[in-house]
Amino acid sequence: MPSNSNLLLQASALTRKMGDTAVVDNVSLSLRQGDILGLLGLNGAGKSTTLKMLAGVLTPDSGDISIAGYPLDDDPIKARQRIGFLPDQPPVYPEMTVAAYLRFCAKLRRVHNNDIPSRCLDVLEACELTAVAKKRIGKLSKGFQQRVGLAQALIHHPAVVLLDEPSNGLDPQQMQSMRDLIAKTAQTSCVVFSTHLLSEVTAVCNRIAVMHNGRVVHDQQTEDNIDTLQQLFNDLVQQHSGSQAA
Amino acid sequence: MIGTIANFESRSLLRSPQTWAIFAVIAAIFGYLFLQALENFLALQPKLALQDHPPGLSGFLSARFLATLSPLFSVLGPLFAMRSFSDEFRNQTLALWQSSPVSNTSIVLGKLLGILLPLALLALLAVAMPAVMGFIVDIDVATLLSSAIGLLLCATACAAIGVYFSSLTKQSMVAIIASLGVIALLWLLGSASFSHPVLQALQQFSIANHLGGFFQGYIQTRDVLYFVLLAGLFLALTIIRLDALRHSGIQ
Repeated sequence: MPSNSNLLLQASALTRKMGDTAVVDNVSLSLRQGDILGLLGLNGAGKSTTLKMLAGVLTPDSGDISIAGYPLDDDPIKARQRIGFLPDQPPVYPEMTVAAYLRFCAKLRRVHNNDIPSRCLDVLEACELTAVAKKRIGKLSKGFQQRVGLAQALIHHPAVVLLDEPSNGLDPQQMQSMRDLIAKTAQTSCVVFSTHLLSEVTAVCNRIAVMHNGRVVHDQQTEDNIDTLQQLFNDLVQQHSGSQAA
Repeated sequence: MIGTIANFESRSLLRSPQTWAIFAVIAAIFGYLFLQALENFLALQPKLALQDHPPGLSGFLSARFLATLSPLFSVLGPLFAMRSFSDEFRNQTLALWQSSPVSNTSIVLGKLLGILLPLALLALLAVAMPAVMGFIVDIDVATLLSSAIGLLLCATACAAIGVYFSSLTKQSMVAIIASLGVIALLWLLGSASFSHPVLQALQQFSIANHLGGFFQGYIQTRDVLYFVLLAGLFLALTIIRLDALRHSGIQ
């Protein structure tokens, strides 16, 4: 039975080590419907590893995750049924057409057979893919492939949407469409997405968590003073550039 | 869910030109071997007629044609299975499966069932050749049926070995070479003559020792069990491997 039903995503004290190094160190997150959390950090900060753990792709060394009240370790099938995940590389099959791929993803996510055609049409329209529905994914540009990846993450109306660098390969116009789509998705779900662009999180998120060396070093609402965040992020960038130069 | 995955796997196999190239080559080999076996039967017929219990056409073709196809089927299994997980690693699509509400057992069973479709078609083609002789002479349907079951069981077990090795590497060539190594070993165990009792016991694990009965028209439980357990062992190893991937995060 689901617990904490008002929380769509609850992660507590997530830790993941690679060898002796903690890639993700004691990260806790709680999100409700309507929350759009931007995980901001430089390369290697632990954003992708955090998202993989939240998506059930990677098992944390310690910590607990529950999705819409279902614990990911005890009830993985029900929990994963409520997750939409777009990894850093869209998980697409180049030889399949967009429509066939989305139909397959809908079946894989246990969408009822009767609902599959309408869900496919909805998501094709939402991700502006209708014109390329019958084209092979391998023939599409990187931006289109990214949108196909996003479409598979949304097709089953998940409670929790996890997007790893969703703006990869998108042009400015497509980025704006992506932001609109994320905002629309958050009306019924919560969204977590990772990026290393401060402008990206300030444009679309209502909550920002800055990650550095596997830890959340700053967590704030976007309506709070953004200057502190700007300063913190600039410091991190300089620190990172300095360590690389050394 | 297993059906959805099997359907996906068989469709992606049938979409590949490589599969159709294999089908064409194998069909040509089947045709050549069948005609050769038929010619042998016709040449040996006067001698066979002198025997007390001469084999019929079905018995002869099962032993001289279908039985010779079994090593070929043990290569075909891993040949179709070699890309089952390797391609997922290479295309970085495993995250799609891992984040979906599907158990590792369903993924592995679905993939194996998907691979079985082209193998079943080839087994059907192999048996269809002697079966068409039924229009001219009486044939023993039971012998042909048990031969088909033998071929399919052998191919299934070998495909399971291929699925396992495919889950270990993103290089499908490495997967097939490793699979064929294990399969060759399982065949060779039967052909060697060992004096040591332990090594003699190892012969019980040979594929050849468990296939003979099928081509003579009788199916023994221990033979069926051998292939089912062999397939089950490698499928279980694949499930463990997928679990380990979720823990290690290395793909």
